[in-house]
Amino acid sequence: MFFYYVRLALLSYRRNPVLSSLMVLAVAVGIGAYMVIFTMNYYMGGDPIPQKSDQLHHIQFDYGNPDIPNFEPPPQLTWIDATAMLEQTTAYPRTATSKFVAIIEPPGNEVRPFFVNGRGNSADFFSMFDVPFQYGSGWDRSADVNRDLVVVLSNELNERLFGGRDSTGETLVMHGMNFTVTGVMDRWQPAPKFYDVNNGSFDPVEEAYIPWELIISQELNRSGSTNCWQAPEGTGLQAFLNAECAWIQFWVELPDADARSDYSMLVDNYVAEQRSLGRMRMPVEQRLFNVNEWMIEQEVHPDETRILGALAGMLLAVCLLNTVGLLLSKFLGKAGEIGVRQALGAHRGSLFIQHLIEAGVIGAIGGVLGIGVAALGLEGIKVLIGSLLITEWMRLDLTVMALTIALAIVSTIIAGLYPIWRACNINPSVHLKSQ
Amino acid sequence: MLKMTHITKVFRTDVVETHALRDFSLHVAEGEFVTVTGPSGCGKTTFLNIAGLLETASGGQYLLDGEDVSALNDYQRARMRNQKIGFIFQSFNLMPDLNLFDNVDVPLRYRGVKAAERKERVERALDAVGLLSRKKHLPAQLSGGQQQRVAIARALVGEPRFLLADEPTGNLDSNTAEGVMELLHEINNNGTTIIMVTHDVVLASRSARNIQILDGRIIDDRRAQQKAA
Repeated sequence: MFFYYVRLALLSYRRNPVLSSLMVLAVAVGIGAYMVIFTMNYYMGGDPIPQKSDQLHHIQFDYGNPDIPNFEPPPQLTWIDATAMLEQTTAYPRTATSKFVAIIEPPGNEVRPFFVNGRGNSADFFSMFDVPFQYGSGWDRSADVNRDLVVVLSNELNERLFGGRDSTGETLVMHGMNFTVTGVMDRWQPAPKFYDVNNGSFDPVEEAYIPWELIISQELNRSGSTNCWQAPEGTGLQAFLNAECAWIQFWVELPDADARSDYSMLVDNYVAEQRSLGRMRMPVEQRLFNVNEWMIEQEVHPDETRILGALAGMLLAVCLLNTVGLLLSKFLGKAGEIGVRQALGAHRGSLFIQHLIEAGVIGAIGGVLGIGVAALGLEGIKVLIGSLLITEWMRLDLTVMALTIALAIVSTIIAGLYPIWRACNINPSVHLKSQ
Repeated sequence: MLKMTHITKVFRTDVVETHALRDFSLHVAEGEFVTVTGPSGCGKTTFLNIAGLLETASGGQYLLDGEDVSALNDYQRARMRNQKIGFIFQSFNLMPDLNLFDNVDVPLRYRGVKAAERKERVERALDAVGLLSRKKHLPAQLSGGQQQRVAIARALVGEPRFLLADEPTGNLDSNTAEGVMELLHEINNNGTTIIMVTHDVVLASRSARNIQILDGRIIDDRRAQQKAA
C-alpha cells in the first residue's frame, strides 16, 4: 500500500497545487534556514580527526599568578616546559608547535619575495595528525635534534613556487637560509584547526613547516598569541625563553588508557617537581585533554552559532506551525474523500497512514527544495564571513543533504499529526450525503 | 440477512435532542429488493447509515448476517463494510483524480487483493456496466449516468451480499435513471440483497418490498403481492 499512498499523495498535490506548494515552501524555508546553521555547527562543532581524536592529547599546566584576580590558566606551554616535555616523553609520538612568519625568496626572478605563515613543529606532527602528502614526507626525529634546514610545503605554496611539480629535494630560500623540501602536503584543512585553537580555530593551515627548534635557533619571527604572567628577568631572547610566557602548543599521542595513565603520572610528577621550584602555583583540574575535550575546554564552538541555531529553530517552528494550519485546511477539505474511503472499507488506521505518507511526501519535496535554500544560505554566509575565517569546509555533503530531507519529512509528519487526527475522525455519513 | 430490533438513534447537541429513529425494527431476508420511502428528514438516510455501519445506533440490536455489530470496533466494522456491503450514493462520490479503473479498484485495495486478481475483477465489473473501454478516463469525462454506473461497478467489485443505495437516481434524468434501475434489478436477480432509499414513488412501487418511514418509525411495510392485492 505504501506506493499506492505515495501515488495518492502526488495526485492530492496536483489537485491543490497552490495550497500544497505553500506548504512545501514553508517547509523548504524553515528546513533550509535550519540546515544552514546546522551545517555551520556540524562542521564547527564536529570532530576534526575522528579516527584518533581520543588518542591525541594536549597538555595544560598549572600556570598563572595566584595574585592576579580571575587569572585563567593559559592553554599553551612555556619554552622551558615544552622542551622538557619533548625530552622526557620520547616514548610516545609528540610535538611542540608554534607559528612563525618568514620571507620566502622564490627561485628565478619572475616572482617577488613574499611573506608566508609557517609552523614550527616536531617530526611526529605529520604522522600524529594524519597529514596527507602529495609528494615526499615529513622529516625524522634526527632532523629535529640536528636542527636540519628542512621544510614541508602546503600544496598551494608548492604550486606557487614550483608550479605544482614534485619539489622534494629542491632548495627553498626562507629567512635568508636554504631549506631542503622533504615533502608537499595534499589538501588539508581540519575544521576546527584543532592543533592550534589559540590562533584562529578556523584559520587556514600554514604554508610552510619546519623543525620547531629552528624558530629559536634561527631566530625566526614568532607569530601567534603569547601569554605572560611574570615579567622576564633581563632582556633578549634567552630571557624571554626562560620567562613565564606561554606560546607553544604541545600534543602527545597516547594510544590507549594505560598510556594515558602513564603519561598523566609523568606530567603530575613534572608539575610536583616544578612546584618544589616555586613554579606552577595555580592548580588546574585537568592536565591532559583529548581533542574533543580540548575543543570544549577552549570553547572553540562560537556562542554566535548557538544563538543562530536557536533563531533558526524558532523560524523552523514558525514555518511548521504554518504548515499545521495549511495541512489542516487541506485534509479537512478532503473530508468527502475520506468518508467515501471509509464507506468502501478503509479503517481509521489505514486513513491515518495514508495521510501520514501524504504529509511525508510534502516534507520530502520541501526537503529537496530546502537543500537549495540551504545551499543559497551557505553561499550568503560565505560572502558575509568569508573575510573573517576560512569557509571552504561549509558545504552540503551527502550526509547533510540526507539529514535535510529526513528532518523535513519527520518535521512535516509531526506537523501533520493533529490535522490528520482531525481528518480521520470526521463522521463519514455527513460528508457522503453532501459531497 | 439484516435484522434490526428496537433501534433508536438520537442526535444530541447542548440544547436539542433529535430522535432520528424510534423503536425501529426491520428484517430483510437474503435476496430481497427493498425500497425505503418517506418525506425529507424522516430518518431514511440515518437508517441507511446505521445499516451500512457508518453510524452506530443509540439503542437496540442490529444483526448483520447473524453478527451483532454493536460490539465491533472501527477495524472490524471497516472490514465488514468492505467485505459484505456495497454503497451507491446519489452524487456518485467518485474520486475525481482517479480514473475509472482506479476508482473501482479502491475496495479491493483495502481488502488486500493481489494486483493480478484486482485487475481481472475491476475489468469484469467495468465490463458489466458497459464502461470497460473507458477505464482510463476520469469521472469528469463521463455523463452523470455513466458515473453512476462506475459507482455501481465499484460497489459490486468486491462481490458484496448487501447493496445500500441512497437515492441512486436522484441526480439522473428519467431515461438514465431507468437504465440504472434496470441494472440494479439485474444485480438483485443475481442474488444480491438491495436496500434503496428513494423519493420516487414510481420506482418504489416497482420493488418487491417497500417500507415507508415517518418521524423515525416504519409506518408501512408492504410486499409486492400485498400491493397488488
